[in-house]
Parts: sequence; structure tokens; C-alpha cells
Amino acid sequence: MQNLLQIEWLKLKNYRAFKVFGIIYLLGIIAVLFISYTMYTNIPPKEIQAMLGDPFAFPKLWNTMGWLNGWLLYFPGWLIITLCVNEFTFKTHRQNIIDGWSRKEFIQAKLLLILAFTVVITIINILSVFIMGLVTGSGFSFTGFENVAYMFLQTLCYMFFAFFLAILLRKSGLAAGIFFMFGLIFEFLLSALINYKMDAKPVGYLLPLQASDELLPLPFLKQMNQGVPEAYVLVIACLLYCSLYIFFAFRKFTKDDL
Amino acid sequence: MSVLSVQQLTKHYGAIRALDNVSFDVPQGSVFGILGPNGSGKTTLLGISMDIIKPTSGQFYWMGQPGTSEQQRRQIGTLLETPNFYPYLSGYRNLEIVAAIKGRGQNDIDRVLQVVNLHQRKDSKFATFSLGMKQRLAIASTLLGDPDILVFDEPTNGLDPAGIAEIRTLIKELNQQGKTIIMASHILDEVERVCTHVAIIQKGILKTIGTVQDVLNTSSVDNTVSVDVSAEDINHLKNVLSSLNGVKQVIDTATGLTLICEEGIKAAAINQHCFNNGIVLEQLNLKKKSLETRFLEITGTKSDR
Repeated sequence: MQNLLQIEWLKLKNYRAFKVFGIIYLLGIIAVLFISYTMYTNIPPKEIQAMLGDPFAFPKLWNTMGWLNGWLLYFPGWLIITLCVNEFTFKTHRQNIIDGWSRKEFIQAKLLLILAFTVVITIINILSVFIMGLVTGSGFSFTGFENVAYMFLQTLCYMFFAFFLAILLRKSGLAAGIFFMFGLIFEFLLSALINYKMDAKPVGYLLPLQASDELLPLPFLKQMNQGVPEAYVLVIACLLYCSLYIFFAFRKFTKDDL
Repeated sequence: MSVLSVQQLTKHYGAIRALDNVSFDVPQGSVFGILGPNGSGKTTLLGISMDIIKPTSGQFYWMGQPGTSEQQRRQIGTLLETPNFYPYLSGYRNLEIVAAIKGRGQNDIDRVLQVVNLHQRKDSKFATFSLGMKQRLAIASTLLGDPDILVFDEPTNGLDPAGIAEIRTLIKELNQQGKTIIMASHILDEVERVCTHVAIIQKGILKTIGTVQDVLNTSSVDNTVSVDVSAEDINHLKNVLSSLNGVKQVIDTATGLTLICEEGIKAAAINQHCFNNGIVLEQLNLKKKSLETRFLEITGTKSDR
């Protein structure tokens, strides 16, 4: 296991696109948090701010960070797609097998990499919350810390979805296109269609990425969304999706010609 | 025991039969050439033996064990089709990955880079390598950990004449050290010079197999010689020679025609016949039988895909 991850690291550590992108993204988490904080403090009038509650102070800060995380995940998702499709483009997926990995090990190595990414992203999110908490001086609180677990799960859902598309489609344009279009536009439309037009609540909340997004709704819009399933239902849906992605990626990669 | 035994291996891609019921054994210590035109199924065959292509039916055995396991593949050095490396990494770092997958130490990397004369460029990115250097790196990677079995698919692809000679010498040296080498090639000359055994496949069908000597000596068209001829008007020459007694087959080549003739034929008779029909020959060359003629006899004259 450790060996697989070490080899993935050998592939990554001198890949400039990964380094540049990784640094920009990780700094971006803090930057986006600060930008939205600045906007919040400067733009809406005091009365509206009072109505919103203070999303940049503990305990709501955990939730706010989680919501922002959902938007930022498109970047590491795109990176996962690139890294997987690269293997197909360079035909190194074949070479890794020829040199002595099993087909299963190839997929396992990528899954471990995703897990490592997710851990790092979650840690950076936590650090960002700490820093923001210091800035706003709102007094530290672990209330709402369950949002960190949701963030972790949300990140896994996005990464595994991206990974699944890359393994299935083998083309970066196609996989990234579907990832962005589905996540940013079509799922939103589909969700609204199912929930309101077809009146099939809560099915619309249980779509692949939506299910994890619903764990971390915009703090002050929480009351507006009606009929959102209990957190444990959402968690089960997320885990189910992740299992399906992994299952089908394994199936595709172990059965097909490479 | 055979190093590799292939039994009734068949692979279909839709309606196309890339491999059709191919069976053979690779004896230990041999340099086993798999010879065939482009698209004849050589790479498909080797791909199946490396678990990157799934056969439609049939079995194969490495050292008597059915199929291929990852432990076994770590003991085999394989170059399949093209050099596959991470273009943004240096030659050295690419070999680090291969060594790590094979579970070997990093201390062998410098040695294999020296064997293929790539050591001075080891820190250059793979993307900056020429085709020949990429091929050398791929060969270096097969040598990591000094495996007893080596599989080379078109090993001299992209190399300059000096490089080709070096690699052929290397293959012979490896064989002298007792290693078994399985080599796919469409270059007849290469197989003739390097291999001890040869299997000829065409359109996925195994045409013949044996030691290179045996394949050269057994002729399907018994006891023939080949004659290269050329003249200004090739079409006329072709018509005239087709009617000559003792000529069995007329084959177009780049420089003229190759005749497959009965053994007793005399160059003078051919010359006389042409002259009588108003043709002055520019070239007339009676050849000792080579693998090339055998190959053309077996596979026919058109380039089949």
C-alpha cells in the first residue's frame, strides 16, 4: 500500500503542472475565504448582515468553509482527471502493468492518491478556518466541527467522480467537460426539475454531487431549502456513490484491453 | 521446460481476427523471433502474454505457470510496441519508477543506462529525447534487475545503423549469458542475424515455426532459388519471364523483379530468353536462399494488413 503511494509520488513530485497548480489551489482556499469575508463586511448593509448571522465567525465558520470547499473542488477534480488521462496518453498505464503491477494495483494506487489529496485538502481547510477565526477574533469553537467530516466526504465524492469519468472515458477533454458541465450546470437544473417540477423531493437532493453539497448548504440559506433529507441519509448516499465509482472503475480497468 | 508456451491463442477485434489459434513453445536459452508483416498480430500476441490484452480464447504459460502474475512480470524485461515513459521526467527518474514497480533497488539504474550509452543524457527530460534515445531508454528499462527473460517488440525501431548494430550485439551477448529472448520483428535480416528460432505469422495465423536453419532449409515450394532481375520496361519483362520454363513465381520488388525458380535454372538461360524477346537486362543476380525468399514464399507478395 505504502509502496503504491510512494510510486505515485515519484510520478508527481517533478510534474511542474502539479506543483504550480497545487500551490495556487492550496493558497486559493485561504484567498477565497478572505475575499468572500471582505465582500461580506463591505457590501451588504448592517441590517442584512445581522439577518445573515455572522458566517465568518465561529461556529458558522466551519459551515461557510465547507460551502466554499464545494466550489473549489473543481480544481483538484480537474487535476485528478489530468493525472489519470495522462497515463492513458503516455501509455504508461500499460507500462506499469508490463513492469509488474497488477491491474488492481494500478487502480489502488490512484485511489490512495485521491485519499492523500483529500486528507491534505481537508487539513488546509481546517487551517484556513483557524486563520480566519484569528482574524475575526470571534472566539474559537469546535461546535460545528462535524462539518469537517462532511468536507472530507464531499471532497472524496468529487475526486472519485472525476476519477471515475477519467477511467471510463480516457479522454481529458471529454471527462473534464462532463465533470464541469454536470457539476456546475446540469446537476443544478436536474435537481430543480426533479424537486420542484416533478415534485419528487427529496430525490433531487440525492444526485451524485448534490448529495454531498447538501451536507454543507450556504449557512444563511439553510432554512429556505425544504425537504432536504437527514444528514445520515446524505452520508449514506455519498458513500454509496463513492462505492459505485470505485466498483465500476475497477471493473472497467480489469476487464478491458488496455 | 519452455519459457513461454502459447496454446490455441485467439483474439478477435469485432470481425477482425488478430490472432487465430496460434500455438508454439519458446525453448529456454533461445533467441526466439516472431516474424510477420505490419499488423500481423505480433504485438497482440506479446500484449496478451503481458496481461494488457485479454485473449478471446486460448492459454499461455510462463515457465509452466498458466497466465501471467505480477510477480512473474517483475522477473521479465519487456519492451512492447513503443517506449512508454513520463515525458516530463528525466530518463533517470523514469527508470526510478520502473525499478520501484519491479521491486528492485535504485543501484542498477546507472549500469543499465551505461549499457545502452545513455548515461550522459540521464538527467534530460524524456520529452527531449530523439526517437533512438527513447528506444535506448526502453531497452535500458528492460535490463533493470538483470532478468533471465527479455521480450523485445521491434527492438531496433528508430535507431540509426550504429545503434541497430549495438542492440543486435547486445541481444547476442545477453543470449550468451544464458538469457532467453523473445523478439518480434518485421525485419527479416534482423531475425536471420540474431535469432536461433523463428515463428512466422501473417494475418494472425502461424505459418511456420522452427529453428532459423530448419525454416530456411525446408521449402514449401521444394528446392527453389531466387533471382533478382530488372530492365527498363518492367511490365514487359514480367510478361516475358512468366512464360519461361522453370520460373514458378514472379514478385515485384523496389528495384525490379524477384523470380522464384526451380533449382536447375541457369542465369544464362534467363538472359538468353530475355534477349530473344527484345529485352536487355540491367540486373541479373542469382541468390542463395535467404529468409527473405522464404518469407515471401510463405506470406505471399502483397503487403497485407
